[in-house]
Amino acid sequence: MSSHITSPDAPFPTPLSATTTHPAPPFLITTRKLPILKSGPIDALSARLGIPIPEMIFGDNLVSITHAPTGWSLSFSAEPALALVDATGANMLRVAHATSWSSSREASGTVAEVVRAYDWSYSTSYKGTEIPVELLRRRDPILFHDEVVLYESELDDNGISLVSVKVRVMERRMLLLCRQYMRLDEVLARVRDTRVYVDFGEERVVREYTAREGGWGELKRALMMTGVPPDGIPVALRDSNQVAALIPVVETYRDSVCFKKAA
Amino acid sequence: MGDLDSAIAQLRACRPIPEAQVREICHKARELLVEEGNVVTVTAPVTICGDIHGQFHDLMELFRVGGDVPDTNYLFMGDFVDRGFYSLESFLLLLCLKVRYPDRMTLIRGNHESRQITMVYGFYDECMRKYGSANVWRYCCDVFDYLALGAIVLGSSYTDTSGPESARTSEEVEVEVCNANKQIMSQFRRDPSRGPRARSGATAAATTNGVDGAGATTNTGPPGSGASGSSGGSIGNPAGAVLCVHGGLSPLIETVDKIRLLDRKQEVPHEGAMCDLLWSDPDEIDGWGLSPRGAGFLFGADIVKQFNHKNDLSLIARAHQLVMEGFKEMFDARIVTVWSAPNYCYRCGNVAAFLELSDDDSGMGIFARSNGDVGRSDGGGSRGVLTENDAPMGGPFRRYRVFQAAAQDARGMPAKKPVADYFL
Repeated sequence: MSSHITSPDAPFPTPLSATTTHPAPPFLITTRKLPILKSGPIDALSARLGIPIPEMIFGDNLVSITHAPTGWSLSFSAEPALALVDATGANMLRVAHATSWSSSREASGTVAEVVRAYDWSYSTSYKGTEIPVELLRRRDPILFHDEVVLYESELDDNGISLVSVKVRVMERRMLLLCRQYMRLDEVLARVRDTRVYVDFGEERVVREYTAREGGWGELKRALMMTGVPPDGIPVALRDSNQVAALIPVVETYRDSVCFKKAA
Repeated sequence: MGDLDSAIAQLRACRPIPEAQVREICHKARELLVEEGNVVTVTAPVTICGDIHGQFHDLMELFRVGGDVPDTNYLFMGDFVDRGFYSLESFLLLLCLKVRYPDRMTLIRGNHESRQITMVYGFYDECMRKYGSANVWRYCCDVFDYLALGAIVLGSSYTDTSGPESARTSEEVEVEVCNANKQIMSQFRRDPSRGPRARSGATAAATTNGVDGAGATTNTGPPGSGASGSSGGSIGNPAGAVLCVHGGLSPLIETVDKIRLLDRKQEVPHEGAMCDLLWSDPDEIDGWGLSPRGAGFLFGADIVKQFNHKNDLSLIARAHQLVMEGFKEMFDARIVTVWSAPNYCYRCGNVAAFLELSDDDSGMGIFARSNGDVGRSDGGGSRGVLTENDAPMGGPFRRYRVFQAAAQDARGMPAKKPVADYFL
């Protein structure tokens, strides 16, 4: 199913037509992919959150896991993710050339203040428990898979800030990965992963959050150590998997829930 | 010319041309562009387009909807390259068309037409992939340095003058939005309290602003030039000039003439006026603001109002920011963002648009000024700030044509489906 308008005659997708549900009893896995928000909803969202909205805002996109018997569900969407972006500017990053840029501005004297300080890198600690990685390494057939972007910003061409959710559902278990990749060129890179593992038979859900962060110099060095040639670095830096493997973990968090009553 | 036409034909088929030919075309393009000023003067009718970003098939769709070159006079506001899969073919096609039809194709520089940015966002890698060396990328970057920084559109009309008279849009309409099949999607009527304020002739509508004499003419040169012309013009229905620039304004630039004085033939610097023109964004703020990112400016409605007034502009057209609807007018229609990359990055699902400006067909001198205020082009020294009584000029008649992404099957590549990978 295509969620994008690809021909002039294609109808604008509706939430219903853009939604896919995969049953994995007793769970249901749902993904929904729609175009970026229009100006009106963007303004409304910006007013609710108190921050400017990333330019690619997939505000209608959704990934959810529902335990059908109880109605319990865990869902991932853009607005609650952005609601955790620091709106105060207390931990604000500056782009690499900010210092040279602002020093050259002092002479003009026309601009005094930063307007609307907020964490413009859209870094969020959004979390979606220990996950049995060995079971997930097995090449069990994938019955359903999808990838849903929640938001993306190119940070005015100073890097990227992207939150996307990937799911893969096998016969007996599934894995969801909600990843934020934030790369501020010449400054630092962050990878913040929330993994949700569901064992359908055990009716157990495990959620695990891992935040990684590394400075630019060490990241570049680490890439070169792995054999990436200097002109291959821009390409390598686009691959969050490659970057995640090279930067240190700065925070982890885990929780779980089990729906099966003890016998 | 034969070589050029065959290169155009090959590029239209989305096939790269040989390296030697790229070199030759880039050389010719540089010779042509070096003669252009920092601010190119373009006369209406003109079709103004925003970011393309290597979405070749969507560029072809744009030409299908907007008319082919040279039948349609085009102005592209930069960001031809990066992100899409066919930056090379897109840019080279536009460049070949520029060389082939220099008066029907205007290209101005976007922030992506830069060595540093293309290294990060795809164009460099694409050239390496397609040619196995960085030579073609280098030739293209050398052309980037010669692209103009802006354009002034003169002679656009307050009313629709396109096509046969019977098929034209009513004079009362200021903005019309059409789909790709030329069907009208919406129309916005002109606010009678705003221009045109200097009309004359048998059909002259009374001016609505008592401050101005009806049909008053002025003795000044082209709007935006700050020059002093000789003959009185301003009969008929020409609208004020339209400034086209990729990003926006700069606190270092109070007049269009200041843009003309910049030394543009260089890599886009990290600071200064040239950088601002390619990077800044309008925003709902007062005055100037610094982007919280630490570099780049934001400018508010008052800045645009003053700049347009001082420079006799009725509108600023810019690109640079993705808009779901393809275009977005702000600040009482004094500035518009035009976005021409549908389904941006092949996944945003947005529509794209371009802006068509009609020509003033009064036959009375297309450089005529639109308003009756004497002395407005004197650099604004005498009246730098708008007073409350000063009703804004109405803008030219604007037709936005909205179009969608080219069909997937026309792309010669499979629809992008997430692959079933065993991620952990």
